[in-house]
Amino acid sequence: MSQFRTFILALVASFGLPWLCLIVIPAVKYQALTQVAYDKDTDGIEGLYPPAPINRQGQLVYAREGCVQCHTQMIRPTQLALDGWRKGWGMDQDARPPAPVRSNNMRDYLGEPFAFLGVQRNGPDLSNYGWRAPERALIHQMLYAPRTLHDWSNMPAFTHLYKERLAQGPVSSVALKLPKKFPLKEGYEVIPTPEAEALVDYLLSLKKDYPVPGDPAAVAAAPAAAKK
Amino acid sequence: MQTSPASTDTQADNLRRAAIDKSVKGPVLFLFLNGAFWLMASTILGVIAAITQFAPDFLGPCSVFQYGRIQPTHINALVYGWGVQAGLGAMLWIMARRSGQELRSGKSILYVAAIFWNIAVTIGLVAILLGKSTSMQWLEMPSFIWPVLLICFLAFAWPMVFMFGRAFRPEGFMVSTWYILAACFWFPWIFVTANVALHCLPGLGALGAGINAWYVHTVILLFFAPVALGAAYYFIPKITGQPIASSQLSQIGFWLLAVLGGWTGMQQYMGGPLPAWMPAVGAAASMLLLIPVGVVGLNHHLTTLGKHSMVASSPTLRFVFFGALFYPVSGAILALISNFSTGAVLQFTQASYGFQIVAVYGFFSMTIFGAIYYIVPRLTGCEWLSVSLIRNHFWFSVYGIGAIVVTSLVAGAQQGGDLNSPEMWDQDFMQLALNLRPYIIARAIAWALITWSNVWFLIHLMLMVAGLGRRSSSPTLLEHDHDEALSHAAHA
Repeated sequence: MSQFRTFILALVASFGLPWLCLIVIPAVKYQALTQVAYDKDTDGIEGLYPPAPINRQGQLVYAREGCVQCHTQMIRPTQLALDGWRKGWGMDQDARPPAPVRSNNMRDYLGEPFAFLGVQRNGPDLSNYGWRAPERALIHQMLYAPRTLHDWSNMPAFTHLYKERLAQGPVSSVALKLPKKFPLKEGYEVIPTPEAEALVDYLLSLKKDYPVPGDPAAVAAAPAAAKK
Repeated sequence: MQTSPASTDTQADNLRRAAIDKSVKGPVLFLFLNGAFWLMASTILGVIAAITQFAPDFLGPCSVFQYGRIQPTHINALVYGWGVQAGLGAMLWIMARRSGQELRSGKSILYVAAIFWNIAVTIGLVAILLGKSTSMQWLEMPSFIWPVLLICFLAFAWPMVFMFGRAFRPEGFMVSTWYILAACFWFPWIFVTANVALHCLPGLGALGAGINAWYVHTVILLFFAPVALGAAYYFIPKITGQPIASSQLSQIGFWLLAVLGGWTGMQQYMGGPLPAWMPAVGAAASMLLLIPVGVVGLNHHLTTLGKHSMVASSPTLRFVFFGALFYPVSGAILALISNFSTGAVLQFTQASYGFQIVAVYGFFSMTIFGAIYYIVPRLTGCEWLSVSLIRNHFWFSVYGIGAIVVTSLVAGAQQGGDLNSPEMWDQDFMQLALNLRPYIIARAIAWALITWSNVWFLIHLMLMVAGLGRRSSSPTLLEHDHDEALSHAAHA
């Protein structure tokens, strides 16, 4: 019986060590993670970092639809991958920004109960989508009928997030402007449901490369839009 | 081979084995049959998921059939509907036999646990399809499901722990029961940790994603791998008639897996928001895991030296041999996707899905198929009906899983190359999507092959469980014109 006990103790010790070091202690220490204030003198800007959390209601829709299967939300450092050099993947939307997009750290995901870092990257990374996002109507069009914008796209058409209804009177201000050849019934319009609006709010809130306090090079490189 | 005094011992042995088989018959067959149904469902979902990835509108705009919902349903059905269930069936039988203990009481608890397991998995998967997915890898089922699964698992683990404690044959060292007991011990710990951390604690943000990745890897390495290895270490000596080559290698393989397995996982998010030491430790552990993987492979090889021809005749040995071969393969793929050089290229590509499937289907499932081909005739009292169905099952599974290994790795390399190609720095994802298409089509075909192999497996299994197998005292072998007669003890 003591052989059994030794065996169990050895299992506890061998698994317990990584369990403590990787899971339990970091989870406890995470509870102490908070926003950090910028220092006006060294950073040049005021406020807290990160300034604004993501839209949580929209994130619930993001989780429901399984967007993580194709989209990541994680910019990798330049020594590991090309993410930081891709056009439009950061705050600076210029064709060739002077500095690569900052790789993400834990505080960028503060306020999210679970960070949807992604499973595969079959579509663009979304961590800083809020900076390159077009107007709302176009985002809705991308969600409702992706192949009207990119005919090669494999993105599912989230038609259940929209209502097709008979247009009554003047066309609704939130109705999607779909191309003429899109097979929509005569007189019908497509309007977003509250879930779709929440999802778009969430996508617009995805801005994860605010400058890190105490990192002067990054702050200097960030354009004035950083204050938004 | 057997003298008079020895034959009385053999007779008593046979009676004891029969009593043990009879005591676990109901729960084990129930688990195997339900598992086979879920396997069928999961492979069909795998075909659909692959098709929706290159032809998103092929089943219409219905929300249920979208890739983001179908893919997690496919994987969860494979892991929880088939994997854990069939694993529990094999574990229960092997532990009972190896420890020489009958299952004396609590059979009805096991039935109830198995029924509730299946109900919970059904509700969970339907919930994912209807839009309640949590989008946490392998934990997409809604948060009310996991406590039910945990209790059902513990209901099965408890008698197994008892059996281990009261083993009839205390002499010698039983590596197969070590692995099975360890799996009983690790899975609840891992399951509770991940679910409590992700569903019960106040949000953990990016650390939550790291814990999720840790969960996926530790379930593969500390549940699926030990169960498959326990089965392999049990069946290979049993059928070849040769003892395990080296008990030292067995122990080294076991303890290295135990020590290293818990550290892996977070390298899935290398370069990400986690503290840098976490992915680094995970990558290092994954590379070091090549040692226990190689040690076990060597041990199996030395054990079967000279008996490789038996793979041609014994269905069990053929499946177990092939499955055990996939342990080093999955270990090699893990090393490829985990280190920071090739892993950074293969990160966020098809390669990680390929690893999960190779580990759960190529390694674990093929080994468990071998176990099922051995166990079921002894429980139902009849033999497998058709050699060609068994051959069909084997070869189409081999083709399918082989295709998935190759296409995932090549697709991963292609995808990773495109994602990191300096020439694509200002391009949209059109070229990547077009380059990937042939590999997704290949993946759909591979799952279709595996579906085909499992349709016949399911039918064959249903016939056996219904008692409609061959009435015979000699086992169904894949080849009969073989000089090498399998010893009697091999099919006891």
